[in-house]
Amino acid sequence: MSEQSRTPSQTTASSETTLVGTGMLIEQLLRGEFICRTTNEDGWRALKNSTTFDKVEQYLNQINRTISSAAEGDVFFCGYQQLGEQEKKVISSQFKDICSALIPLVEWLVLVQESSGQDAPLSEGAPIRLTELQARIEDTPAFMEQLAKLSQYRLFGSTSSNVDNQIKLVFKRLVELGYLVKPNSEKQIYIATGKLDYLYEVIRFIDETEGLSLEAQAETATQRDLV
Amino acid sequence: MSNNLHQAGVKLLKQLSRHADVVMDAYLAGSVSESTHDVAVIEKLKKSGILWRPEPDEALRLKRSVRALLEEALSDERNRQIDANVGSAFSTIKTLADHYKEARHNIDYGAAEAYLADLSEHVYSFTDSLRYSIRVLWSRINNEFGYVGSINAKIRENELAQSQVSELLNGLEMFQFSELSEIAGDIRELRRLLVTNLQETLSQCTLELSAVQGRLLELIGRFRQIQGRTRLLKGFLLHTELHPDYQPENHVAHKHVPRLFNCAEAIIKPASVDVNNASHEIVLLEAVSKIKAISRDLLPSKVREHNVETTMTEVEDFDIPDNPLKLAVDEYFCEVIDSGLRQSALEYLKANKLEWEAENWLYQVIGGYEGLPDEHKAYFELEPIGEPDPIYSGNFMIHDVELWLA
Repeated sequence: MSEQSRTPSQTTASSETTLVGTGMLIEQLLRGEFICRTTNEDGWRALKNSTTFDKVEQYLNQINRTISSAAEGDVFFCGYQQLGEQEKKVISSQFKDICSALIPLVEWLVLVQESSGQDAPLSEGAPIRLTELQARIEDTPAFMEQLAKLSQYRLFGSTSSNVDNQIKLVFKRLVELGYLVKPNSEKQIYIATGKLDYLYEVIRFIDETEGLSLEAQAETATQRDLV
Repeated sequence: MSNNLHQAGVKLLKQLSRHADVVMDAYLAGSVSESTHDVAVIEKLKKSGILWRPEPDEALRLKRSVRALLEEALSDERNRQIDANVGSAFSTIKTLADHYKEARHNIDYGAAEAYLADLSEHVYSFTDSLRYSIRVLWSRINNEFGYVGSINAKIRENELAQSQVSELLNGLEMFQFSELSEIAGDIRELRRLLVTNLQETLSQCTLELSAVQGRLLELIGRFRQIQGRTRLLKGFLLHTELHPDYQPENHVAHKHVPRLFNCAEAIIKPASVDVNNASHEIVLLEAVSKIKAISRDLLPSKVREHNVETTMTEVEDFDIPDNPLKLAVDEYFCEVIDSGLRQSALEYLKANKLEWEAENWLYQVIGGYEGLPDEHKAYFELEPIGEPDPIYSGNFMIHDVELWLA
């Protein structure tokens, strides 16, 4: 409570309220979770506040961790402050995980977007009603094929030939991986988290660094389709 | 003359109100078909210039002016017409101001007054249309071009709105205030109209337009981001389809690892319970009290080899033949009642030469006594006869029982 002396009463109050959650916030970060408005709104606000941000950062720095952010500062996660050999190994294996998850995740995102006929792909805060989605997929054989294909990737690991089992497993895995949250365990409504926005950033990074010009490829393809 | 105009206007408006249904049908559907409405009505509306036929074999449509009136009055969001023709308005104002000055110079006050009224009308309608255009723009921004479906259409709508804004802004730039004040000269009425009034409105509108422009740019940025993400995903899938063996390069092998990929390992696990911490006792006790060990939940469900079905049928009548031993005990009870004497069970057994084993007999007597309903039991007394076990204390060995009436 050392800030009490230097801050006016209003900021003291706000830092006090956020103090309570800091422990949980640090824990979440150290568990490798991504903090966004959807996963932990209080924690997210606390990190947006520079006082609490500094406090958490100071704590993490003691164990060679730092707060990293993505998606224009709307998603926070925990990174290493300094990279030694050991840390590089960890990062390298994490990167491999992300890369191997890219194709299944992208296929899933496109499936969700196309089957629900939306303009925008899923991003943080977007809700998905599982039963509606399932009904739409079951109505269209092409979507069912796509689901069957993507559910068999190792990331999801389904061996079932039943749409219901496939989609349930895929969603269960996505919740485990932190791309979705299920706010009410009794309702089949899922909400996309900021980790998806992180995923877009990863793809964009790869696109830009490797010069793949993915957007241009997609555009020429759609133009060909139109012709 | 003005009386005629007044009458004609009232007539026109009355016609509009009388045939409001037709007009609104035409407004909503875009055109009106002659077959569904009264031919005479259509003809009348055509004559008074409310409906018109753009091409010989086209359906009848509403005149632009009527349409604009409705769009404005109903604040219809589909309205995207914006009058950006500031230039002609400016020259009209200038011309009228010149007329007015000439009339004043010639001391023709009647004409001057008419010109001034005309000029005011022009200035006010110009500022009104400008304000209206801005309102239209805002309403389109506020619902994020909700009247079109796809993101591409939204982007096109946004681009249209942006071009309209820049046209309006360019038009407003043409207004040289120095020129206006020069035209107004030292004539008070003109200064009030052209300098004070117009100038103020115009600078307000310019400010507001730049806010509109900012919002439009922000919106298009968002739309482009959404569109970009969709394309990014599709492009990625296309790319991996075209290059099935594609693997992203190892972006973390460089000396400078991009911040994006600097993800620390998950290190924290839930802390363990400290049973020696007294301050946790209440919480721990509470947790323990909530533990339910229902082991059958964990057992695998039994799989039967055969399908065992139970069917509900009517229960068949059956009766249990009375146990002869029990009947004999009942006899014994009756004997006690008849004689009214205290009688040993074993003696009765011997006396009546019954074939039961002594132990069975005693058990049945005790059972028969205990089995009596409470009100019957009260009539009898039963006393076991025996002694404590010589070796094991607390045990009482019964040799016989005696029954009598209480």
